[in-house]
Amino acid sequence: MSFLELNNINKTYGGGMQVVKDFNMHIAKGEFVSFLGPSGCGKTTTLRMVAGFETPTAGTIRIDGVEQNNLKTNQRNIGMVFQAYALFPNMTAAQNVAFGLRVKNKSKEEITRTVGEMLKLVGLDHLSDRYPFQLSGGQQQRVALARALAIKPQVLLLDEPLSALDAKIRVSLREEIRDIQRKLGITTIFVTHDQEEALSISDRIVVMHQGRADQIGTPFEIYNRPTTRFVANFVGTLSTIEAKVADPSANTITIGNSVITLPEPLGNVKAGDRITLALRPEALALNGAEGRDYSLSGRVEAVSFLGSVIRTRLNVDGQPLSFDIFNNPSVKPPVAGDMIEARFSPADLLVIRE
Amino acid sequence: MNGKKILAWFAFAIGATYFIIPLIGTFIFSMRMRRGELSFDAYRSVFADIQFRETFSYSILMAVLTIVVGMLLVVPTAYWVRLRLPQMRPVVEFITLLPLVIPAIVIVFGYLRLYNSSSFLPFTGSARGTDMLLVFSFMTLSLPYMYRSVDTSMRAIDVRVLTEAAESLGAKWTTIMFQCIFPNVMSGVLSGAFITFAIVIGEFTMPSLLNRPAFGPYLQLIGANKAYEPSALAVIAFAMTWASMGLINLVSRFQKAARARA
Amino acid sequence: MAQPQSLVNRRMVMDWLGIAPFMLFAVLFLILPTLYLVTGAFFNPAGEFTFQNFRDLFQPTIMAAYWISIKVSMASAIGGLLIGFFLAWAITQGGLPGWIRSFVLTFSGVASNFAGVPLAFAFLATLGRTGLLTFILTTYFGFNIYSHGFNLLSFLGLTLTYMYFQIPLMVLIITPALDGLKKEWREAASILGATSFQYWTMVAFPILWPSLMGTFLLLFANAFGAIATAYALTGSSLNIVPIVLYAQIRGDVLHNANLGYAIALGMVIITGVSNFLYIWLRMRAERWQK
Repeated sequence: MSFLELNNINKTYGGGMQVVKDFNMHIAKGEFVSFLGPSGCGKTTTLRMVAGFETPTAGTIRIDGVEQNNLKTNQRNIGMVFQAYALFPNMTAAQNVAFGLRVKNKSKEEITRTVGEMLKLVGLDHLSDRYPFQLSGGQQQRVALARALAIKPQVLLLDEPLSALDAKIRVSLREEIRDIQRKLGITTIFVTHDQEEALSISDRIVVMHQGRADQIGTPFEIYNRPTTRFVANFVGTLSTIEAKVADPSANTITIGNSVITLPEPLGNVKAGDRITLALRPEALALNGAEGRDYSLSGRVEAVSFLGSVIRTRLNVDGQPLSFDIFNNPSVKPPVAGDMIEARFSPADLLVIRE
Repeated sequence: MNGKKILAWFAFAIGATYFIIPLIGTFIFSMRMRRGELSFDAYRSVFADIQFRETFSYSILMAVLTIVVGMLLVVPTAYWVRLRLPQMRPVVEFITLLPLVIPAIVIVFGYLRLYNSSSFLPFTGSARGTDMLLVFSFMTLSLPYMYRSVDTSMRAIDVRVLTEAAESLGAKWTTIMFQCIFPNVMSGVLSGAFITFAIVIGEFTMPSLLNRPAFGPYLQLIGANKAYEPSALAVIAFAMTWASMGLINLVSRFQKAARARA
Repeated sequence: MAQPQSLVNRRMVMDWLGIAPFMLFAVLFLILPTLYLVTGAFFNPAGEFTFQNFRDLFQPTIMAAYWISIKVSMASAIGGLLIGFFLAWAITQGGLPGWIRSFVLTFSGVASNFAGVPLAFAFLATLGRTGLLTFILTTYFGFNIYSHGFNLLSFLGLTLTYMYFQIPLMVLIITPALDGLKKEWREAASILGATSFQYWTMVAFPILWPSLMGTFLLLFANAFGAIATAYALTGSSLNIVPIVLYAQIRGDVLHNANLGYAIALGMVIITGVSNFLYIWLRMRAERWQK
């Protein structure tokens, strides 16, 4: 039995709108899981059901074997960090962190000790007497994290904690959050719409779409083997290619005039069926090494210099294809108007199933 | 959760009871002039009273004058402060708050001592002069509300940007004032006007001490002498206040709709 | 070099000229009259500078007037604070249907302006000796409030009447402050283990208290300066300060004009300090809401 179980969670609102559909997830102790998806996909609602702010219309939530459905929010011993920080404006950072302990009537010594520990953990012990309006966004969120962890919760929930912060702070703070989580070994759910965030720090990701969990997997799996079109489109950049099935038994397809053999079976298709394939930009290259036996030729439409990566947009028989190459100071990047051959390995072709 | 809702309904019930009972009580009381049956006799008596019509018209006239002169003072000032003298804003706003701090009776006391027949501005030396002084006193009373509603609507349309845009398109200042600014702050002007109207009609202290035949002192007099007419007048006064507020709401909703369409 | 200089000056003069009418009005009809009274308080009828007027303020009748004024203002302010807060809480967080909130706010806007003489009439018609409610209670419930000691023309009656505009004023001012209590604070408190009571005592009331205190002071000052309602209701039987001043202005009952000025000054100080504290507290409250 897993530490945190969400079984058959469904949530329908009064007007008949179903926002979460048959959500199933088992999370191991100490695991860091991200709920990833666009606005309105149900990720925050699911998180709030774990916290107790919303009640599931059907399904159960178990933490360490204990069913949570009938427990009120203030009985669940869960830590939560909100998008808008939600620090109490009338209290200093230290008093905010102490809140959960004061509520439980802990002794003064224990409170002072724990507050000191927590603020040290997030690197803010020198700002303990500041009020929230005297702290920056990143600092406030760190205090919020310390406050949530001070009560030694069994589960930590983070609801888009970085969305309100500047880009640079977002990157450094997400690393800090992950480090702290690892150090404490606390089971964590992290909700975000930013796929880079989810990919970089999660043990596993749940990609949610219109209330359903489209795919659950490790970052590597989600990125490289998306199982639905939505996941493939939402996570990372993707170039789609329309192709036709040539011979289902031989796993061959045709793209334009080339015939390509796919390494994996196509499944239930007939010859002549239209099929959508996708390629990640980094799967294409200008040279033929590492099994890149096939190529597609096209005219360069635009070249974007992204720093360490150069993204080129090709026009292949009317279909746009983008591919990335690493910047090399001694190699000139492609120029708009050039005719180019982009090489790829059939193993990198993703078959898009709806 | 349910306990909270019960408590909330209870609070509403208490509030509703306290506020509605006097209104109903007054209304029914006003209908009891004729023994044994309900009638509008008290109202008929009120409307037939020549003093009612005289003082009411006098107060309406005063209200209109207050609104007109007040707006002629307030609108250009608010505009000017926003555009040319933003550093004076705190000072002007402080001044507009003074009438809320200094009680009306103190202000009119000051007028009586300062502007009597032997002073440099002998307002109270004549009836006309006192009328003028009364208008100025009403303007003082309603200054906070007039200024705030005009200023708010000016802030909402950002007069500075509007003026600069109009200037860059070559408009003269009269055009700017009357075709760009005024129509857009009309809702603020009207709101301020309706509140001023309600205040002036009901005001007692100032006309009473300045001895002018306004509606407020008339009400006081009726209260001292008659039994049923005062409650009829109270109903009329409440209806007028409600109407003024209703008009304000209507105006602001109309302006919002117009802005949304634009 | 002289040419641009004069242009600049001319523009500046134009700027200040634009505000002149308003300033003239303020000086003539607000500042000068008040200053006249305020300085007059420091002189005696013979024209000599003196503090005698302030000493005279401490005579029993005048002290009694101030005391009654303070009591009535305090009582109606506290009543307005408690009931107004309760009502405002109900419409913002009580889970009531949406139309109740707009209805209460609109009605409060009207009721807070329904003061003065008509208000006194309304209460006389309801709770006066021959008032409708008095009549109903006596005839149908056998309960004569007047024989049980109630009298509308008293401290209690005046306070009850004043609450008719104090409560709505409280509702109007405190509703935005209650709206400003972010939902997340409640949720954060809850998930940290706090009960409703702990949330209110440790988070909500501490955040609200500057607004509550400030509005209380506003209500106090509001009641202190009011005269029309009291005059129409209790006449001169309840000698609050504005009524004393009114009598003094009308007929120099104190036989000492400068004493009248001192009374006025006393009023201005009390309402001035209350309003100043209200504004200061409101600024503090707004700082936290950022």
